[in-house]
Amino acid sequence: MSDTQTPPIIKAVALRKDYGEFHAVKGIDFEVMPGEIFGMLGPNGAGKTTTMRMLSSISPITSGRLFVDGLDVEKEPRKVRDRIGVVAQHDGLDPDLNVRQNLITYARYFSITGKAAQDRAREMLEFFGLDHRSGSGIHALSGGMKRRLTLARAFMTRPKVVILDEPSTGLDPQSRNRVWEQLNRIRDAGATILMSTHYMEEAAQLCDRLVIMDNGEILSRGTPDDLVMEHAGSLTAVIRPNNGNGLAVRSALESMGKVVRDRGASMVVHGPEQLRGELGQIDNATVRFRISTLEDVFLNLTGRELRDE
Amino acid sequence: MTSLATKTGIDFRPSNVYGVWLRHWLAFKGGWLIDSTAIVIEPLFILLAVGFGIGRFVEGIQGDLSYQEFVAPGIIAANAMWPALFNCSWGAYQRMENHKIYETMISAPVNLSELAAGEIIWGATRAAMTTAAVLIVAMILGLLSSPLAILILPLGFLVGLVFGGMGLVYASIAPTQHSMMLIFTLIGTPIFFFSGAFFPIDSLHSGLQPVAWAMPLTGAVHVARGLSTGELGLSHLYGLLYMIGLASVFYPLAFILLRRKLIT
Repeated sequence: MSDTQTPPIIKAVALRKDYGEFHAVKGIDFEVMPGEIFGMLGPNGAGKTTTMRMLSSISPITSGRLFVDGLDVEKEPRKVRDRIGVVAQHDGLDPDLNVRQNLITYARYFSITGKAAQDRAREMLEFFGLDHRSGSGIHALSGGMKRRLTLARAFMTRPKVVILDEPSTGLDPQSRNRVWEQLNRIRDAGATILMSTHYMEEAAQLCDRLVIMDNGEILSRGTPDDLVMEHAGSLTAVIRPNNGNGLAVRSALESMGKVVRDRGASMVVHGPEQLRGELGQIDNATVRFRISTLEDVFLNLTGRELRDE
Repeated sequence: MTSLATKTGIDFRPSNVYGVWLRHWLAFKGGWLIDSTAIVIEPLFILLAVGFGIGRFVEGIQGDLSYQEFVAPGIIAANAMWPALFNCSWGAYQRMENHKIYETMISAPVNLSELAAGEIIWGATRAAMTTAAVLIVAMILGLLSSPLAILILPLGFLVGLVFGGMGLVYASIAPTQHSMMLIFTLIGTPIFFFSGAFFPIDSLHSGLQPVAWAMPLTGAVHVARGLSTGELGLSHLYGLLYMIGLASVFYPLAFILLRRKLIT
């Protein structure tokens, strides 16, 4: 990624999408480099899905430019779609076909047929732990299996980049972990992925770099660690004042030169490791320390929680 | 395929049409036993009930045809409408709205012009299956006097193209799943009964006759009857051309409306 010679696999320049008066994406810029997992983190309505729909050319671009593998999405939409794999939030699986047929049928749209398609389907089903279900109907699969099948389908065609729209939404924690584990293995194998998520944990675990989005704009960008360090420091002190002492505790903190952020019943102060020593002795309050997260970053940037809709 | 696109300036991949068609064939093979009852049994019931049930009370109807001979080609051609209409309206709506399969296809390098062609040609394939089944039975029963009657099979395919296109147009503008019913009740059924399959158009009130002739099935019924008796004239050619014209209007209309609905 530090290699400036490598051209980006996806490049968005002042990308914009309006639906009448509603501005879904407000002129964003970003670049995804080959071999990385690039995340778009933000709540519903941030513009993540719209951006992905523009990439697969099922949503026309209002203004700005969008390139995949050097191809202009507006000018050569079909060639772009030849090069990408898409996993939408809804699985888009074919209930009239079995697991293997879903893969083979999809591969044909990329001119992958016959033995090549059969072999690749076997390989993908094995990789995604579905080889024992290749003859099953879609209705017989659990939610996690369906999601893994959509991943297998996207990777059937050896795409240059895979676009994942919220890959673990709606999955139970076990299935989610399984999906994460497989995405990690795919990343290790060198795949390039653009994913959206509203789970900060997912972004933190999987993404090499990410942008934080809200209301159609990119608020900040960087590696998960950099973003946390930049916007929330390494440590977060969660301070819960005893009854009636809220204002006193707050002014005590502020007199120490701390930026105090309200979080409902408690308040937080971000800072480096030293915070632990400084805030250990606050009167009339319980102080708890924890590692800062992307959730803190998002809250600090937008004033609201990531899971807000 | 790329070369075709660069040579003609038209970006159309026939292999994708085949891909969409093949998807339907695979799905059909998965449940053929159930589907084949609709293909064979329903039209057969209509043929037997109308031909031999009602037909018993009907005296010679057009020239020296028995009612069974009159109604058989009509029923065969008219029945081709249902599977195409069903596949491309109700079925298409399910695939598009409930299962999001169209979105999967167009996120892959399939264009809506290819998707629509695959859907409609599959609808026509199903129409041809039904046509073949009933055609064979009618031939065995001796209801079709001319060997030209075998040409009712490609005619059934053409009926499928027309109604597949019509169904897809409707699926792309229908606001809700529930409203899909209307294409069967308000459009399919009147067309089926007033296409001349069951009684001659000229027995209708003279004001209604042009309406009946304009219906998209009437031409096919007329041609089927000509093929079954072997007496063909210019009117049959007009009927055929009308059907071809309808098919070539519905198809582009379908994919333009699909684009409007799906590309947003």
